[in-house]
Amino acid sequence: MTNPIQPRLTQVFRFVRCSYANGVAELVYAFDQGEELIERVSFPAPPHLPPERKQAFDAALKLLHLFAGVSYYKAGIPPKIDIADGPLDDATADLLEALYLHGLAEFAYRNGLDLRGRIVFPRTSSSPSPLRGEGHALAQALALPKRTLVPIGGGKDSLVAVEAIKQTGGDATAVWVGNSPLIAACAQRTGLPTLNIQRELAPGLFELNRLGAWNGHIPVTAVNSAILALAAILYGYDSIAFANERSASAATLEYEGQQVNHQWSKGYAFERLLGDWLHTHVAADLDYCSLLRPYSELAITRAFARLTPYFDVFSSCNRNFKILGPKPADRWCGQCPKCHFVFLALAPFLPKPRLLAIFGRNLLDDDTQAAGFDALLEYHDHKPFECVGEGAEARAAMYALSQRPEWQEDALVARFRSEILPQLDATELALEPWLQPAGEHRVPARLQPALAAIG
Amino acid sequence: MTSHASAPLNTGAPWIVMKFGGTSVATLPRWQNIRELVASRRAEGARVLVVVSALTGITDALKQMCAQDDQGKRIEAAKAIAQRHYDLLDHMQLAVPDALGARLSELAKLAEQGPAVLGELAWSALVQAHGELMSSALGAAFLSHSGLPTQWLDARDCLAAIALPNQNERTKLLSAMVEAKPDPALNTRLAQLGEVFITQGFIAREAQGRTVLLGRGGSDTSASYFGALLKAQRVEIWTDVAGMFTANPRQVSGARLLQKLDYEEAQEIASTGAKVLHPRCLSPLREPRVPMLIKDTNRPELEGTVIGPEVREHAPSVKAISARKGLTLVSMESVGMWQQVGFLADVFAHFKQHGLSVDLIGSAETNVTVSLDPTENLLDSDAVAALASDLSKVCRVKVIAPCAAITLVGRGMRSMLHTLSGVLAEFGQLRVHLISQSSNNLNLTFVVDESVVDELVPRLHEMLIAAGALRTDDSALFGPSWQTLYGSGETVAADDAWWRSERRAQLLTLGAEATPRYVYHLPTVRKQARELKTLSAVDRLHYAVKANTHPAILRALAEEGFGFECVSPGELKAVMAVVPESAPLLFTPNFAPREDYAWALGTRATVSLDSLYPLEHWGDVFRGREIVLRVDLGRGLGHHEKVRTGGSGSKFGLPVDQLDTFLRLADAHHVTVRGLHAHLGSGILDDKHWGEVYNQLASLAERIGSVAFLDIGGGLGVPSHPGEARLDIAALEEVLRKVKSAYPHYQLWMEPGRYLVADAGVLLTRVTQQKGKGSWRYLGVDTGMNSLIRPALYDAWHEIVNLSRLDEPATALYQVVGPICESGDVIGSDRRLPEAQEGDVMLIAQAGAYGKVMSSPYNLRDEAQEIIIE
Repeated sequence: MTNPIQPRLTQVFRFVRCSYANGVAELVYAFDQGEELIERVSFPAPPHLPPERKQAFDAALKLLHLFAGVSYYKAGIPPKIDIADGPLDDATADLLEALYLHGLAEFAYRNGLDLRGRIVFPRTSSSPSPLRGEGHALAQALALPKRTLVPIGGGKDSLVAVEAIKQTGGDATAVWVGNSPLIAACAQRTGLPTLNIQRELAPGLFELNRLGAWNGHIPVTAVNSAILALAAILYGYDSIAFANERSASAATLEYEGQQVNHQWSKGYAFERLLGDWLHTHVAADLDYCSLLRPYSELAITRAFARLTPYFDVFSSCNRNFKILGPKPADRWCGQCPKCHFVFLALAPFLPKPRLLAIFGRNLLDDDTQAAGFDALLEYHDHKPFECVGEGAEARAAMYALSQRPEWQEDALVARFRSEILPQLDATELALEPWLQPAGEHRVPARLQPALAAIG
Repeated sequence: MTSHASAPLNTGAPWIVMKFGGTSVATLPRWQNIRELVASRRAEGARVLVVVSALTGITDALKQMCAQDDQGKRIEAAKAIAQRHYDLLDHMQLAVPDALGARLSELAKLAEQGPAVLGELAWSALVQAHGELMSSALGAAFLSHSGLPTQWLDARDCLAAIALPNQNERTKLLSAMVEAKPDPALNTRLAQLGEVFITQGFIAREAQGRTVLLGRGGSDTSASYFGALLKAQRVEIWTDVAGMFTANPRQVSGARLLQKLDYEEAQEIASTGAKVLHPRCLSPLREPRVPMLIKDTNRPELEGTVIGPEVREHAPSVKAISARKGLTLVSMESVGMWQQVGFLADVFAHFKQHGLSVDLIGSAETNVTVSLDPTENLLDSDAVAALASDLSKVCRVKVIAPCAAITLVGRGMRSMLHTLSGVLAEFGQLRVHLISQSSNNLNLTFVVDESVVDELVPRLHEMLIAAGALRTDDSALFGPSWQTLYGSGETVAADDAWWRSERRAQLLTLGAEATPRYVYHLPTVRKQARELKTLSAVDRLHYAVKANTHPAILRALAEEGFGFECVSPGELKAVMAVVPESAPLLFTPNFAPREDYAWALGTRATVSLDSLYPLEHWGDVFRGREIVLRVDLGRGLGHHEKVRTGGSGSKFGLPVDQLDTFLRLADAHHVTVRGLHAHLGSGILDDKHWGEVYNQLASLAERIGSVAFLDIGGGLGVPSHPGEARLDIAALEEVLRKVKSAYPHYQLWMEPGRYLVADAGVLLTRVTQQKGKGSWRYLGVDTGMNSLIRPALYDAWHEIVNLSRLDEPATALYQVVGPICESGDVIGSDRRLPEAQEGDVMLIAQAGAYGKVMSSPYNLRDEAQEIIIE
């Protein structure tokens, strides 16, 4: 073994250094005095970086180094965090501490850990830090080109966002990180220019895992956001439009006084923190937002139900198959909460035979799936740890189906009618309120027509 | 070249109608091919009528032109279409013939004019008809120019569309029907005009003189209409495949060519899935009894499929199995309604009202279930919701989808039911929503969940052959497999087995000394082992020793660098006694007691678990250890229910939904899951299967940080029936490498068993006696299920030969039976063998795996010896 470290017994997590050359960002970490863990993020066909963007680029690279560290930090959760090139300013340290604490909340819950008070990033209150975020002063505006990076995930949400931007004539590029053939197929189908960024985890992480590292969910959307911020500066985009919806902000459960939200880095709190930080530390004219923020899952699935050309390529299944086959079962495992939720949420908006053709089977006519759907409905159980809608949304969708003759007799719909529905307040089960946009969003003026096109 | 200068034909010469599709008429070489074929038919002494489609892509281009509102773009499109024909003429080095020139200018005129003058539908029909009008004019010029005088015939002058009561303007113009009865006058008229004719498929003329189209499959239908009008000697459909097959070759590569079918069977097969022929094109031929021949344009030497009147000289056989996907079922349930007059009529009126057409129907006193085909109306409108809403006022409705109809086709289906028990048992494991059997006794249809179909159809095809329901042994009806005709992989050659020639004398001597005897040929074991070692994606191979634990075989495989997979302490001890310390060992038991695990953890073997119980109750046994977790991916594969090891009906593996619980238990006891293992069954010949298992395992492993290797089990199939394709190792390698490149951080392990040793072993036994019973002949041998239980246990098929009389003609039909007092002691049924004599040495092939290891002392008969030959 090259790395004799016991990950769970390490004392210090070190941000060693980060660098960028020829389209490759190298992010280096280490535990204690152990071997360096080097992650590489590769940007295809990298353009020459204009000098006026250099400072912004360095700040974004630094952010990526700090964010991507969460994958490694969580292997050991050592009591001390060390940053080789010095402490952070308050705004940056606050952002990082929030991300590591909330983004790892599910990880901590699953592993029976309490991270409160444990995650402390070195900060300097008075002396200038490498990231000079002086108060709330904006960073310089860079006159970035008026075009948008739209991350594609292979699921319905990002496709709804893409189509909204296309419909309103926006200039956009479909971007994704990693080599998923499913995402590539979806990106292809959008007809937009594409940008595929590669992220190569440090091989040493697999070794640490084998040596018994802590393992679990990390806030991957945050890491991807930092990658895209760097890409926006490198290639020249003035906005990054994610497709995170309203319910992403809702906590999955509360555990010993702490909110645990599986999709915290898809939530509004994170969007606001990062968006403000980019304005103050990177570029005043780089906007980071979610185009779907005011919409519920149900409003989005309704919008997606109109996008027939994607039906045979998209998948939200969390099994994330790396090899694509032609059958629905090659894209939808049919057993995970994502499969359950997308099936249920699309059902009210699609002809039944069409929906069943997408999934290749009827999940609601399968008794063995009862526990999975119960969890979505928050019946007998908490909401599952997945990026799925709120329990009330799931109940509204199920209620709608229970009123429809073509669904009523399916095993789980019939069970809902006889067993669950009598315990619910029928006045709270309407579908329509979910279809109205509501709540705050940070969509910049240039993209607001697209926001309106979704509803 | 065949001479076209043969003697002139008399007026009574028979007709042959030959139809060529779009790809066959699109290039010069294909036209040269047509010329040869037509000349050869002419040389047979027949008049020939050639029916052609439009050049590939032209019909679509014409359709697009019709949909184009912009006049300028229509004119452009017409020009592009003309250019395609000019290009082909250029290749043929021909000037534009007048007939074609006239068509092209008419098309240009139609493009300019648009639909206004003729009306949308009539204009569109006339525009689309130009594809065939042009290709046939071009063909007439080419054939005549190449020395085969050919008359161009306007199909519209011969085929008159009839008006039908339920037709609307669209169906009248775009999917017309023709009543084609033998027409001696036309026959005489054409006979005076020449000997070779060319005409158009797809088009006809209606009573008002307008051009109409015959709809989908129209060109084949035209050929049939002409065949009937001329009462032809035969109609030949030239296409890109040799005919109809016993199953869709894309699903079943072992599907066999159907050489003879009657009209009804062929129509049923075409209706239930086969794409080679449109079902409607057979009915015109039925009454005049004109046979149809389907032939492969690229491989004219192949026999093809002949479809003709029913013949009674063959034993009943299932002819084909087909599957149609995308069905939606509507099940309607009500008590006490069925006595009510008109209830069903009312129910069906709702289907009509919502534009849904009903296909299959199954009914009981209180339930009627019908199937709907996947139409756009069904998928994209609210038709089903509206229908269910209407129906729910009179009965309970359930909409079941997506379903697939699996149909067995064959004349006299009901008389074959007894042979289908295995097939029916297969359906017994599935949700069967509807069974339908029509009164014409041609089919038997099962409607099941669509998700099972891709795996089910190949398996059923194999079972139908094994059960003697699909009589592939009748070479008059069944031709070669698709794999043999078109596949790339090699098929098992019957004569390459080591025992057949190379070692026959040695085996005869061994058999003469004493029987029963198992004989194992070590060079074959090594050959199989080396073949598997070519799988470079596989990091480690373990021999699943339960197949055969003979020390010489274990030693040979250890020398080849194999690890060993054992399922009991006994197997582990046997292996450790003969293989070197360095050989890796796996302990993969199922429902093993606590002591077995405790003992195995004291050896160097890697231990695997496949349920929660051991960690829940004996956690201390495993504390701090590394283990392999065997999961059940929720489905099973294999050649028989008892060799399937995945799916809820199987006792193996941890269900995926218990994975999180398992991991929590493992964590609690400091147990590290180092490997994930799945094994779905045995006898699997489809290379893609392991790729799927591997992919599924890898996607699970990503949720477990500690996993270092994935074990995708074994089950590599060994073909037993002649003509069955071998597992394609090169293809398997490609499949595995593809998954490996997606998950490079996991090592890949496999556990082949039977694949390594089955072919290496034979069982020698001697003939003891014969018995006749009615028409049945029993051939008794000196051992049976006590030595080899696979035929009785799994319905396994082993080749049986009379080694003493290998070169004599196989004239007798035997039931080969052993001496055990069990009616199941049959080693092989209905075997064609030479007339046998007492003392003949019989050889049972592929007995190297699960032979001796599964033998028993039942009836206290002597056990078979084991002999090793180098």
